[in-house]
Amino acid sequence: MSRIVVTGMGIISAVGNTVTENRLSLVSGNCGISMLEMFPSRFSGVLPVGEIKISTAALKETLHAHEPGITRTTLLALHAMQEALADSGLTRNEIAAADTALIGASTVGGICLTDQMYSDAQSNTTDLTFLSSYDCSATCIHLQQLYAMNGPVNTINTACSSSANAIMFATRLIKHGRARRAIVGGFDSLAKFTINGFNALHILSSLPCTPFDEERNGLNLGEGAAFLVLEKEEDAVGKKIYATISGYSNANDAFHASSLSDNGVGPYKAMKDALTMANLNPSQIDFINAHGTGTENNDKVESVAMIRLFDKVPSFISTKANTGHTLGAAGAIEAVYSILNLYEQESYPGIQFTVPIAETELLPNLEYKKTAINHVMSNSFGFGGNCSSLIFSKA
Amino acid sequence: MDLAAIVHRSFFPKPELMFYIHQSACISPQHTIGDADLNTLCASTENKLKAIEPDYKGIPPGILRRMGKSVRMGVGTALSLLTNNISFDGIIMGTANGGKEDCVKFLSQVIEYNEGLLTPIGFVQSTPNAAGAQIGLLTRNHNYNVTHVHLGLDFEFAMLDADMLIAENPGCNYLLGAVDDISAYDYNMERKLGCYKEAEVSNKDLYQSKTPGSIAGEAGVMFLVNGIAEGSVAMLTAMDTLHHHDEHVVKDKLLQFIQQYLPENEKIDILLTGENGDERFVKYYTACEDAMNNDVTIARFKHMSGEYPTATAMALWISCHMLQTQSIPIHMLKKDTHKSGYKHMLIYNNFKGIQHSFMLVSMPV
Repeated sequence: MSRIVVTGMGIISAVGNTVTENRLSLVSGNCGISMLEMFPSRFSGVLPVGEIKISTAALKETLHAHEPGITRTTLLALHAMQEALADSGLTRNEIAAADTALIGASTVGGICLTDQMYSDAQSNTTDLTFLSSYDCSATCIHLQQLYAMNGPVNTINTACSSSANAIMFATRLIKHGRARRAIVGGFDSLAKFTINGFNALHILSSLPCTPFDEERNGLNLGEGAAFLVLEKEEDAVGKKIYATISGYSNANDAFHASSLSDNGVGPYKAMKDALTMANLNPSQIDFINAHGTGTENNDKVESVAMIRLFDKVPSFISTKANTGHTLGAAGAIEAVYSILNLYEQESYPGIQFTVPIAETELLPNLEYKKTAINHVMSNSFGFGGNCSSLIFSKA
Repeated sequence: MDLAAIVHRSFFPKPELMFYIHQSACISPQHTIGDADLNTLCASTENKLKAIEPDYKGIPPGILRRMGKSVRMGVGTALSLLTNNISFDGIIMGTANGGKEDCVKFLSQVIEYNEGLLTPIGFVQSTPNAAGAQIGLLTRNHNYNVTHVHLGLDFEFAMLDADMLIAENPGCNYLLGAVDDISAYDYNMERKLGCYKEAEVSNKDLYQSKTPGSIAGEAGVMFLVNGIAEGSVAMLTAMDTLHHHDEHVVKDKLLQFIQQYLPENEKIDILLTGENGDERFVKYYTACEDAMNNDVTIARFKHMSGEYPTATAMALWISCHMLQTQSIPIHMLKKDTHKSGYKHMLIYNNFKGIQHSFMLVSMPV
């Protein structure tokens, strides 16, 4: 079986509009967390978030995307997908071919238009513009039509692990011969809906989040999109190959709708099964891009699960301190970061960290260094106990 | 022929499926749960076909009270299959509207209380993966658990996922299901889009209405599937999807699908279509009917299910029932060939004229 390789990447987040900008931000330890300002809300000016400081109108201009009903989520997706497609050098015919899959992941979707959706749901308006825009599938359906794609097109939503599962699904489609290549990504934008949801759960931090810190007090929401182009190694001869996808697993914590079990059953199983699939010993993992939301529950449980699995926990960080938690986009954004670890042979510094969690005493990686990295694990855990781990390896 | 069609002809990834359905459960607007009776057609009211829910004995009352309807139907059908300590190795769900009611309830609170202090329950239950997650939680199942949400093809991609899992893990059992419910909010929005009829039309007269729009529907459907033929009730032989607006491309696709996946010297006995009473989409169904030989019986199911994104899951349940009973309820027949001995059934459906799916369901061999 031919290996599945990554031949193109695109990303937009609070720390940069391109792969290069994102990498430079990670290298320098930039924090993209700032006060909410791009849409009116009670939280404007007072809640720290990982916001992309480009207006929706400006995104439409840049992308020449003036179709009615297009949402910020779709614009972010289009931005990242364009970069990934250009990077991989896929031709227009290859993109449109019946053997090219498009797999997306989103949780917010068009609910970024929270006020508009409220009006529409109440039938307070006769405006039809956004009625088809709210569904999670709206972005992929737009992209499919825009690029006149004829292959399998699908959308996955498993809350915060959505795009890790999308990458897994896309990889399996190729392995099973149901697609020859896949364009796969995650995308979500900030919304009144999610800000108020996480606020009601009392897990939003009023300060920039501090993953894996004893004093952590919650997460910052973020927004962004990232896309990967996946191909068979034999089809990618002569192309830039960023990494291979060597392992993945989806497990369920089956403990609680919105928090993880003390022992981290789901996270442990996801990481362990991904290692088994990649045929790797735990000691072979060089770096982990942790889920690391900065909440009391997640960071402790993820630490416990890592300690249970690894004799010596590998170098790890949570880049949510840089980008905020981008929900359905997080798995894809962090996949790009993990692949950059491999491709550039460098580890990025964890930021906003001061004191380790007393019970677990794990220290995230704190400095930038050039180092040999062969295998990187990326974790994504979501509501509903959905836990997924991906392993990327040096090509 | 347009470029897209040529591209489509040029290569076929490999859309054949091969898995077996061993058990199924369906909570729908018809008598499908418990002692199934499809011959008696339950009527719609106000252009809605609402599911007839059982009393959900297996779900603890405290938990049941907090569940939205789609989650309830999903969990209820799953638990009804898991008697006799049947173990399973993963849960694959498809849904478009699951959680939408809680989502809009919470969203309304956000606006109406001007982002004040809110209770999080609606938010937590608003995620479409809630049904799959609850099944995992109540059965303490730590295996693969995923939810496909691609509108009118949610269930189709869940099927494809299940098929790949079975190929990867021969001998494993999977729960494959779909849930969708009619929420007031969603009904309002879809009606404004013209998806439902303006004037009241009974489901009994759905196909004679000659107006745009259909009637709303909902169901929870669950299948226990694996790669083992022995003891199964039906076999999923092939499935494919298409995003296109041109009925000629749809017809070509259907013909290729049959040519490629119907075994040699075999014939399609029944075409079961998702014709939904919306005059705008009749052309797709006509094109597919035209592609059939004269001896193919043509049946329809949307007057039983109503229109909603995962209606094909109920179509698959009905197909299994028809293969098992070797009979077709009279109200489903569009064209009767008075033949018996049903072996191969073809299901064609489209959602809003842009998402099409094709399934070949057969007697197990």
